[in-house]
Amino acid sequence: MASCRPDARHEPVAVVSPSRLPPRRTSIAGPTGEPGWPDVAIHERAVRVRVAGASRLEGDASFRIAPAPDPAARLPGVGATMPALPLVDGVPATVRLERFGEVRARLVESGVDHGGPEVRTDVLLGLVRVDRAHGTRHREVIVNGWRIEVEIESERHAALRERARRGAGAVSPGGPIEVRAIIPGRIVAISVGAGDRVEAGQQILVVEAMKMQNELRAPREGAVERVGVAVGDTIEVGDLLVVIH
Amino acid sequence: MTPPFERVLVANRGEIALRIIRAAHELGMEAVAVYSDADAMAAHVRAADAAVRLGPAAPAESYLRIDAIVEAALASGAQAVHPGYGFLSERAVFARAVEDAGLAFVGPPSATIAALGDKLAARRTARAVDVPHVPGTIEPAPVDRPDELEALLEAARAVGFPLLVKAAAGGGGRGMRRVVSADELPAALLAGSREAAAAFGDGAVYLEREIIPARHIEVQLLGDATGQIIALGERDCSTQRRHQKLIEEAPAPGLTEMERQDLHAMAIRLARAAGLRNAATVEFLYDRDRRFWFLEVNARLQVEHAVTELVSGVDIVREQFLLAGGAPLSPVVLAAADRAARPTSHAIEVRISAEDPARVFAPSPGQITRWVMPAGPRVRVDTAVEAGDRIPPEYDPLICKVIVHGTDRTAALAGLRRALDETEIGGVQTTLPLHRVMLGEPAFLDPAGLSTSWVDTHWDGAASRAAAVRVAAIAAGLADVEGAGPTGHPGPGTSPVSPAGGQPVRRESDGSAWRAAGRTRGTNRWPS
Repeated sequence: MASCRPDARHEPVAVVSPSRLPPRRTSIAGPTGEPGWPDVAIHERAVRVRVAGASRLEGDASFRIAPAPDPAARLPGVGATMPALPLVDGVPATVRLERFGEVRARLVESGVDHGGPEVRTDVLLGLVRVDRAHGTRHREVIVNGWRIEVEIESERHAALRERARRGAGAVSPGGPIEVRAIIPGRIVAISVGAGDRVEAGQQILVVEAMKMQNELRAPREGAVERVGVAVGDTIEVGDLLVVIH
Repeated sequence: MTPPFERVLVANRGEIALRIIRAAHELGMEAVAVYSDADAMAAHVRAADAAVRLGPAAPAESYLRIDAIVEAALASGAQAVHPGYGFLSERAVFARAVEDAGLAFVGPPSATIAALGDKLAARRTARAVDVPHVPGTIEPAPVDRPDELEALLEAARAVGFPLLVKAAAGGGGRGMRRVVSADELPAALLAGSREAAAAFGDGAVYLEREIIPARHIEVQLLGDATGQIIALGERDCSTQRRHQKLIEEAPAPGLTEMERQDLHAMAIRLARAAGLRNAATVEFLYDRDRRFWFLEVNARLQVEHAVTELVSGVDIVREQFLLAGGAPLSPVVLAAADRAARPTSHAIEVRISAEDPARVFAPSPGQITRWVMPAGPRVRVDTAVEAGDRIPPEYDPLICKVIVHGTDRTAALAGLRRALDETEIGGVQTTLPLHRVMLGEPAFLDPAGLSTSWVDTHWDGAASRAAAVRVAAIAAGLADVEGAGPTGHPGPGTSPVSPAGGQPVRRESDGSAWRAAGRTRGTNRWPS
C-alpha cells in the first residue's frame, strides 16, 4: 500500500481536463457584443491574453488588451475625451511597453493619476509560435524569474468562439475526465484498477521524478474507467494516466 | 608541483562533475568522465579527457552501478576515483570496492563512511565523545512489525510530537516524513522506508525530535593520513524547503568567536572518533537558546562547499586530491584553519533548481530555451547547463549555483541581489523567484530570523506568481497589438508567417539565442 506524504499541499502531478470539448465554431459574424467593448472600430485589434493554470488557486487568468487608439482613426463622439492609452480589460491603463530588441522589454506602469511613481518591470519575450489550427499565438514570457506561457487570441475570435461554445451547451460535469501527466517521470506504484470506485483525493498512483515520489490523487469521486499506464512505465508530459467516469 | 595522480575518474554528473574535472586539470591530471545515455553530450563529458558510458538514464542502471564505475576506472587507467556528492558518494561499499581495486578513493576511508554515513551509528559515536545529538532513537525502527508497534509508539511519545521519521542512510530530505500525531506514525514509517529504499537501497528509518525554530549550521573539515583534522569554518544553511537547502552562507552570521571555537572543536572531536580523513561536514541544529545539536555527518564533498572556499581561500576539491594522494594538510590549509573562528569576509550561495515554487516545488524538467548567467565582480557560477540543454527528469533538479563573495554579509547580499537580477532562465520554471524574494525578506536579512522552517511557513508562491502573470500578460498583449519590436510578428489582422516547427527566426547563433528547439552539437569525447 502506498501511503501519503505528509505535505498536504503537495501539488498533484497531473492536469484534469474534460474528455469532451465543445466544437470550435468560427462561422458566426458580427460585433463582439462584450460589455466594455462597445466600439468595434477602435478595438478591432484588441486581443485576449490567457495564462492557463496561472496558479493552482486562481485557475486560468485572462486579460483583454487593446492598443492605444490612433487619434486620426477616432470615431466622432468617442475620441475627443479619450487619452491615447492602451486598454486593459476595457479600462484605459497608464502602462507602456518599452522594447529593447525582439526579446527584452520593460513594462512601465504609473499611478492612476499620472503623478504616481512609475513601476518598471523587466520582461523577456520568447519567440512567437503560431497555432493556425486554433487561431492563437503562443510565447514564453519571463518576469522576475517566473516562466509564464501566454496564449494570445484576437478579441473578436475569442468572442466568436465563446458564443459558439454557449450555443453548443455546457460540458456535462458528470462526464468522464482524463487525468494526464504534467511532469515526466516513472510510475512506481498504482493503487487502483479499472472498475474501482475512488473518492475525491484518494491516491491513484505514485510518480517518481527527480528522485522525489509524487502522489497523484483522484480529482473527484467516480469509477476508474481505464488505467493507461503500468508500474515501471516512463511517462512524458501529457500522457494519459487514468480515466475516471 | 607533481600531480598526486596522473589520471582520475569522476563518478558523477552535472555541475559537480565539471567542478571536479576543473580541479583535476588545474592540478595537471587527466580526468575521465562517466555518463548515462541521458548525458552523452553533457558538459562534464565534453570537459573530460576521456568518457565511459555506464548505461541507460535511470541512476540504478548508470551512476549507481558500482561494478561498472570501478571497471571504467581500471579500464581507463585512472588511479583515483572522486565520487562528488549524491549518487555513490556516501556508500561505504562503493568506497570499499574502489579501495579493493587498488585505487585511491577521494574521500574518507570506507570504514569511516560506514561509521559516519549511517546516521544511527553517527549518533552513537557522538554520544560516545560527548557531543549532544538531536533527541530521538538510536536504533532502526521496526517498520513491518505490527507486534512491535506499541513499543515504537512508546518511543515516539518519549521523543515527542511533532517528530521526524528519517532514513538512516538518508540525505537531502529523502525518506524523511514529518509526523504530528501517533496515528500517522505507521504510515509515515512505511512511506519513509519505501522512499529511502528507493533512493539509497536501505530502508532503515529512525525517529528524531523536530527542533523548530532552529538554524542549520555545519562545519567543514579536512583531515590527513596522520590523523590531523582541522575545521575550515562553518556554514549556515538554514533556508531550506522540505529539508532541501536553498541558500547557504559562510560564516554563520551572528556567532561569537567563542561559539565558533566550541562548534569547530565538537565537529573535530566527532570526526576524530570516526577516523576521518580527506573531507567531511558535520551538521548541527542551533536553537533559540544558542545550543548546538548534532544532526549528522556528510562524509563527502558538500553541494555548498564553494562558500567556504571563497571565505577560507582554500580550494577544497584540490586539497581532497592532494590528501587522497597521501599529502599532509598543506600550510595554506593550516593557516586558513587558524583563521576559521575569526572570518574576515562573507560568501552566499543560492541553489537554483528546476522546481516550480508556485506549485509546492514540483519538479520542472524540460528544455532550456534561454540561459543567461550573471557576471561581474565577486560572482562565481557553478553549472553544467547551457541553452538548448534538456534537464533530465531522472536526476537531481539542481541546475546552477550562484555564489557571491563580499567583505561582509551586507556586501555579499548586495552582490547576490545584483547577480540574480542578471540571471535569465527560460524553458523550465526554476526556484529563482523564491531566491529573489528571500534576499529582500527581513527574516533573511536579520540573522536572528534565520530558520529552517521559514520557507515552509512564509513563502506564498501563488501570490508572487500572480503578480508576474499580470505583468507578463499585459506585456505580451501590448507587444502583440502594437506589433512592436524590430523583428516582431506583423500582429493580428495580417497573416502571420508561421515559424514552422517552432524554429526561431534568428540570424546570429550565439549561445544565448532564445531558441524554441535545441541545437545539435558535437562532442570532443574520446571514443570509449
